[in-house]
Amino acid sequence: MKKKFSLRNKFLRRELWTGMLLLVVAALTLEATTLVQYYFAQKSITEIASRRAEDNLENAKVDIMNILNQVETAIRNDIWMVRACLPNRDTIWKVTEHVVSENPAVVGSTVALVPGYYKDRKLFSPYSFRDTETGEIIHKTLAYEEYDYPSKQWFIEGLKHEDGFWSEPYLDVGGGDIMMTTFSMPVRDYEGTIAAVITADISLGWLKSVFDDLVIYPEAFSMLFSREGKLMVSPVESLVMHNTIHEVSKQFTDTAAMKVFTEAVMSGKSGNLKVHGEKSFSHVYFAPIERTGWSMSIVIPNDQIMGDIKKHNRMVLLFQLIGLMMLLLILLSAHRNQKKYKKLSENEERLEQELEIAKGIQMSMIPKTFPPFSERNDIDLAAMIVPAKEVGGDLYDFFIKDEHLYFCIGDVSGKGVPASLVMAMTKSLFRAVSSHEKSPRHIVNVMNESFTEMNEQNYFMTFFCGVLDLANGHLRYCNAGHDTPLILAESIKKLPVVSNLPLGVIQDYDYQEQDTNLIYDDALFLYTDGVTEAENVDHKMFGENRMGAILHTRRSPQDHLKAIYDSVEEFVGGAPQSDDLTMLFIHFTNEALKNPSQWRLVLHNDIGQIDRLTEFINMIAQKIELDPDLAQSINLALEEAVMNVISYAYPEGTEGEIKVDASARKNTIRFTISDTGQEFDPTAIPEVDTSLGLEDRQIGGLGIHLVRKIMDRVSYQRLEDKNILTLTKTIRENNGS
Amino acid sequence: MEVKIEKNQDITTVKFIGRLDTPASQEVAKTLMPLEKDANGTFILDCEELEYISSSGLRIFLSLRKAAAVKGGNVVVRNINNNIRNVFMMTGFLNLFDIE
Repeated sequence: MKKKFSLRNKFLRRELWTGMLLLVVAALTLEATTLVQYYFAQKSITEIASRRAEDNLENAKVDIMNILNQVETAIRNDIWMVRACLPNRDTIWKVTEHVVSENPAVVGSTVALVPGYYKDRKLFSPYSFRDTETGEIIHKTLAYEEYDYPSKQWFIEGLKHEDGFWSEPYLDVGGGDIMMTTFSMPVRDYEGTIAAVITADISLGWLKSVFDDLVIYPEAFSMLFSREGKLMVSPVESLVMHNTIHEVSKQFTDTAAMKVFTEAVMSGKSGNLKVHGEKSFSHVYFAPIERTGWSMSIVIPNDQIMGDIKKHNRMVLLFQLIGLMMLLLILLSAHRNQKKYKKLSENEERLEQELEIAKGIQMSMIPKTFPPFSERNDIDLAAMIVPAKEVGGDLYDFFIKDEHLYFCIGDVSGKGVPASLVMAMTKSLFRAVSSHEKSPRHIVNVMNESFTEMNEQNYFMTFFCGVLDLANGHLRYCNAGHDTPLILAESIKKLPVVSNLPLGVIQDYDYQEQDTNLIYDDALFLYTDGVTEAENVDHKMFGENRMGAILHTRRSPQDHLKAIYDSVEEFVGGAPQSDDLTMLFIHFTNEALKNPSQWRLVLHNDIGQIDRLTEFINMIAQKIELDPDLAQSINLALEEAVMNVISYAYPEGTEGEIKVDASARKNTIRFTISDTGQEFDPTAIPEVDTSLGLEDRQIGGLGIHLVRKIMDRVSYQRLEDKNILTLTKTIRENNGS
Repeated sequence: MEVKIEKNQDITTVKFIGRLDTPASQEVAKTLMPLEKDANGTFILDCEELEYISSSGLRIFLSLRKAAAVKGGNVVVRNINNNIRNVFMMTGFLNLFDIE
């Protein structure tokens, strides 16, 4: 005997180890899949970011060249004027004045003569510039002792470059330290000899804004370097025009990458590279503006690009972890309990015991205390789950968060232990996702995505998820291929549902959400096909009709479920239960949403009928014990609204009816004024300005103004040739106005 | 709706009694229109017994006030109850009239 037990123990232990091993393999496979997915997602996101960065650089280049081209074109167009003026040098300033006055981008312009061109003047350079304060154009001659223009870059390079030359940017020291650049090109006289260099100085104050638009991620930044490596645009404003690319490079720890970057920028190449920092790395994209020799770059920290996907990946890993933990838990407790029952010699018996334990674990996962919300009087609820075997693949869950009831019911294809594991995973998924999602559609979408991802065994699950706003009865729901729930209102009806697909079929399926409103005493009945498809010995099914008949009788939620279950049992008789059976009954009992009181008044389009309106309002005020001052305000709003209809919807001489429907709930009163007159939308009348003085005040427009002031909500609709104006007023607790 | 008009040299007192709703305003407008030619004096609009006013009633007040402004007269509104004061407030009329 003893020996046999030790063998059994060994066997049990081996089984546990096999289970554990399988679990580890499953975990590793899952994680590996996730990591591979993550890798590809990362790659494609980086590609998208690169494309965006490169597009942005291209756009910036186009923006910049647009402005620079204007200046180049203006200068080229004016060269003939200089040529014409050369023989009479005192007229040359007319050209420089023309360049400045015709081109708002140009701050100053000069025509600098080649030294000695005029025999009697060594240097001659008439200069026009725009005074920054007055906007006036001022002339002077640059050729004084201190300004030796023949040694300046713009002059030397201007002589050499037949198609023009953009100078290094410089600070306009006299003019407020603005960054400037000068465009210069040679002018030939009629003999074809180079006689002068014509220039235009332009301010580069606008450059920064071009680059501000490039920053597509909050922590990304852009830089612009000049031909000689001078920093022209930088996130650190104070470094602009003071630092060079070499000094900027020293700010980065990744010296090797920065060396490559510096060389590429200085030689006018385009491309991208990774620059590593302490924790992460950044992507650097760069491209030259060939015409000016400038080079643009964008720096985007990798974390910025990966921000969302990292978060998403963490979520997926979390869900997987929860699922695996559940499996581990089941495995361990099954093992622990096995020891307790090791005295059972029959294998079958042991298995039964294990399943019994698994059932206990499974049942402990779903809420089973009824009534669950005994402290609340706006909701009553009961649920029941009866697996066909010890453990099953059916599921329900519910909880209240922020005055909303979240609930779900589901049915995994298949039954027994495998289905129960899927059910366990789904249940934790529902809790995890609904803890931060309010919309059933989002809940179902996210659940489906994770479900499909973890669904290597190709299980699928019909699922229905609802979120009921307990304060106002608004129910949002999403059905994933589940049996249509019933709504018990004045009559019993199927809830209108789009069936969508079950969970686990298509990963990125976008589920449709629907909504409806429950009022006091409405109820919802959700079930799995274990109820309707319960079979008796003759293979007949229990069916929806038998189920509906039981629900017609008024009972408490628990009694309803018991009555249906008893009836199913009776029907099935001796036949074995073929499928898991689950029911959820939700009874909405928010008394604030009792059927509202309703009244109607029909008026003719005649001013004399206003008295009847006053009587009508007084009658309602008395019925719902409205404060007299508030009643009078409401009377005023209604009179104004009805008068608008009489005056505008029905032109003189026409006859028609005006219907006033009133409905009162606990704390709101709503009026709907409808007429069949011509289209007239009072809410489209512009608001009167009540702060105007006497002379400016108009006589009209006060009516709709009063309606707006008195009522909390005013809305207009044109529907089937009717004007429908809805006025709503919230009545406060103290019933004051 | 009833309107009592008393004239005492250049002071005209108009006493409103009841509800000045749209139908009533049409009648009252006819009665008060001729008074606008005397708008160079002082009008006292006594609202002690005025229970209710709609925008058509407000228009009569405004029209009289405009006439007085043109002719150099004055309009004083007297003894308005809380409900009507509230309507005056919502429409900015409190700033247009001398309220006593």
